[in-house]
Amino acid sequence: MRWAVPEAEFVDPGTLGCQGCGGALSMRLVLKEVGDDAIAVLPACCWSIIDGPWPTHALRIPVFHTAFETAAVVAAGIKAAKRRQGRDTTVIAWAGDGGTFDIGLQALSGAAERNEDILYVCYDNEAYMNTGIQRSSATPRGTWTTTTPDENPEPRIKKDIMGIIAAHRIPYAATATAAYPEDLARKVRTAMEARGGMRFLHILAACPPGWKVAADQAIEVMRRAVRSRVFPLYEVRDGRHYTITYRPEPVLPIEEYLGLQGRFAPFGADPALVAAARREVDDRWAWLEEQHERSLQPATT
Amino acid sequence: MREFIDGNTAIVRAALDAGCTFFAGYPITPASSILMAMMRQLPRVGGVAIQGEDEIASIGMCIGATLAGARAMTATSGPGISLYSENIGLAIMGEVPLVIVDVQRLGPSTGGATTVSQGDVQFVRWGTAGGFPIIALAPSTVPEAYHLTVRAFELAERFRCPVFVLTDKELGTTLTTVDSEALVAEPVAARVTGAAGTPYRYQPAAAVAPLHEFGRGTTVRFTGSTHDEAGFITKTLPTVDALNRHLIDKIEANRVEIELVDADLQPGAKTLVVGYGITGGAVRAAVAAARGAGEPISGLVVQSLWPVPESALAVALDGVERVIVPELNPGLYRREIERIAGNRTVIGVERLDGELLSPQQIREAAA
Repeated sequence: MRWAVPEAEFVDPGTLGCQGCGGALSMRLVLKEVGDDAIAVLPACCWSIIDGPWPTHALRIPVFHTAFETAAVVAAGIKAAKRRQGRDTTVIAWAGDGGTFDIGLQALSGAAERNEDILYVCYDNEAYMNTGIQRSSATPRGTWTTTTPDENPEPRIKKDIMGIIAAHRIPYAATATAAYPEDLARKVRTAMEARGGMRFLHILAACPPGWKVAADQAIEVMRRAVRSRVFPLYEVRDGRHYTITYRPEPVLPIEEYLGLQGRFAPFGADPALVAAARREVDDRWAWLEEQHERSLQPATT
Repeated sequence: MREFIDGNTAIVRAALDAGCTFFAGYPITPASSILMAMMRQLPRVGGVAIQGEDEIASIGMCIGATLAGARAMTATSGPGISLYSENIGLAIMGEVPLVIVDVQRLGPSTGGATTVSQGDVQFVRWGTAGGFPIIALAPSTVPEAYHLTVRAFELAERFRCPVFVLTDKELGTTLTTVDSEALVAEPVAARVTGAAGTPYRYQPAAAVAPLHEFGRGTTVRFTGSTHDEAGFITKTLPTVDALNRHLIDKIEANRVEIELVDADLQPGAKTLVVGYGITGGAVRAAVAAARGAGEPISGLVVQSLWPVPESALAVALDGVERVIVPELNPGLYRREIERIAGNRTVIGVERLDGELLSPQQIREAAA
């Protein structure tokens, strides 16, 4: 089988990422496809640290470290000025879940509504890990964090960021994870081919300290997220046309995803949480299958 | 009993003891542990703690909650104060009691998230449009963090305005041995709410009317626009003038009531060291060392930064020929001292690299 991920490297070894950091690996994989004619815009997030100080910094492309709430719009500004220079440099807004689902959502929505010609990547580790594991609106129901502690695990379901993005009808959006690198690489390629408008990648990124998993289980836990359908891999074109890109067979019981992670300890104490999570996952998958089937039909509009 | 706690923990304990019933905040180093502790502890005493989706949401929830009867606090650091800015103005204009903790870190921008600074000293004073006064307290030790936080709640209720508790990364997150018996306070009196008359009163300008809360018998109108005493938007010139002079006078004319300093004055000393916050420790140590060496010297640690405690400073400046002002910023509070020091020599000792000033650096400036 041909290895479908380019060998080129734009992230040097020795990042300041924690052992097993899904965010560091995701950047490495994405840049392999994007190449070096690119600028990364990083708001406050783990990657604003991971890149590291000189001379041990990791990224070989230019970096704009911006304010927390502005990744999408600063990227849009850079892109507009580069276009004026006659350059088609890829501008990547690279933000965590806090900088995407929460504080950065307004800027993200503004950029998506204007269909800015940027590649927005959210590497989602499902909490504010850099400041000490506080919940975000990407944190799944039932999760322990330092702001959903003790007897009060996260009470609400994870925000549907892909639904929000799809509602903006941008040319291309997709979910991916580094546990499926070829799927991820192909989606970055597709996003690069869709240049001219806004592209959005939602990448699930394991965080061993925040998820309470062993560092050597980081890939495995991301794989299980997909195999249990907790994190479906799919893409959305023009906000309407859905394609499921991977169907796990057999489907892994959700307990085997939850049980690997200490952050899901509240599930062990509450079987109703597990049942609710399973129901949410099943409902979500059924809805995605409906969208997938519908998207196969000839366009009626 | 002796305990090993940091300033952020002392602030949380003080807030709970002062009757804080509402907290909203957003993760930011080095203030996050206040959010984390409030999320854990406030619900256990019947309060409400919410993590907002950003700083704008967090302070906005606090203002809303206060108008609906809560006693509210929020906590952040410099970048978060930047996002609070508009709502600080709203709280000033709407005369909302609110405690805002600023655990300072090195700026500007992201600066040094885990690095000490006193760079927000003027920022909290002038951090919203219009230039209207606020109150700011600056603890220099963990026990002071406790007591000044309680005092901040008292002052917020008394003057119906935002009150800042200005700490920093070192005071906020460095564990210190304290005597727990020193961390007790009388409960802050329950809010006297008004339902009769108007929710705002501008005469006499220095007086503060009781807060009208939603749902207590009158139809409360709250606006960030210029408004009359009933809360209706107005452009009537004398009313707008009276409103704005009231917002100034209620604090400026009561500055003596707000003043808090730790003065250690030596009769006959020609040198005075004025510090505040985390630098207060170095001031006290430098004063002790100088006296040990037989050099007369006075020290003053300012605890109420805003309004500037001019009465206490006047007393401390009496007979002094020069003033040393150590700060972890480019001389931001020194300009206040210069403003009232007359023809005395004012010497700044400044550190901008993210490390603390040592007593030795202060003594060298005094040599």
